[in-house]
Amino acid sequence: MDNAKPEYLVPALIGGAASGVLLMTPFVNLCCCLWLIPGGVLAAWVLAARTGPGLKAGDGAVVGALTGIVAAVVDAFLGLTPLQSINRSVMRTMADRMAEFSGAQLPQLDRLKEQLAAPPNYTVAGFLIGLFVLAAVLALVGLLGGVIGVAVFGAKKPSPPSQQPPAPPQGHSDAT
Amino acid sequence: MIEPEKANQPKSARLAVGLVYALTVPGILAWLAAIFLAPYLRSRGAGALSALLYAVFAPLCHQIPDRCLVFHGCPLAVCARCLGIYAGFLAGLAGYPFVRGWGSLALPKARLVVLSSLPMGLDFLAGAAGLWASPPGLRIATGLVWGLALPYYFVPGAAELVLRVRSRRAARHVLPMGGIKR
Repeated sequence: MDNAKPEYLVPALIGGAASGVLLMTPFVNLCCCLWLIPGGVLAAWVLAARTGPGLKAGDGAVVGALTGIVAAVVDAFLGLTPLQSINRSVMRTMADRMAEFSGAQLPQLDRLKEQLAAPPNYTVAGFLIGLFVLAAVLALVGLLGGVIGVAVFGAKKPSPPSQQPPAPPQGHSDAT
Repeated sequence: MIEPEKANQPKSARLAVGLVYALTVPGILAWLAAIFLAPYLRSRGAGALSALLYAVFAPLCHQIPDRCLVFHGCPLAVCARCLGIYAGFLAGLAGYPFVRGWGSLALPKARLVVLSSLPMGLDFLAGAAGLWASPPGLRIATGLVWGLALPYYFVPGAAELVLRVRSRRAARHVLPMGGIKR
């Protein structure tokens, strides 16, 4: 399996990077961790394109779980960039709109707005613990995406031997 | 003549599926419990623990209060659609042994996940296009339909992963010349 590791790595990096960016893109990230499913499917598709059909569920599970870990790392580091403040301002605007539409003063919305208004405080320990939890959860969701991807693209069974054309007789040729 | 490895396959597959199933059922139950525990703890004044639970679910769900069901006066830790997905996963898991049995590692056809995604996809797209604002009940229902299909991919995939890890461990105990380490 160690020999096969590089085969999984590139598809996982592609799928994980795509999912991680989508998880941090304003508005698009409202689909939350569901982006790991298409990310895992993408990784399985890349794996199937590189290694050919005949992938098993386990291949999808490995590549999907790796995709989830890569996505968690990408997501965590993008969270340190200005993208995070854009996301917070988008959420603040949405909370304001909801308060407008509902007409009533909802305590949950007030609490959310307070949380979003407070500046984020990062600590190294908090970042690492958050990354670990995120990686564990996204690995499970990515696993699911990878297995679904194998079901869609990779799980082609080889044709049974009876359907193969008979081998030509040896030692005889019609060509003159 | 049956190869010894193939003869053992159904038994090992059953064990792997059983192990994954035995871990997944309490896992999803604990997950669902945590979703309800977060608002309950907040309502009881246990702010720190509640905040921790909300924080665990924050990267997985937008947690917009308007889209979340309310429990003990506080929003659940995930939105209605996510709750439907997790509840559907549990329901699908409950039916798994009766539908697939314990020994099969074969994946269902891709059309199962495509068809189960349709209601949620249509509802999401219509909502995004401003055609309708789906009520929480519909969001839960569409999430539930999708979640129902997911264990039928998750369990065989994770079970095959378990088998690979086991076979790799077993290979470590076999000496290069074919002898077995004692």
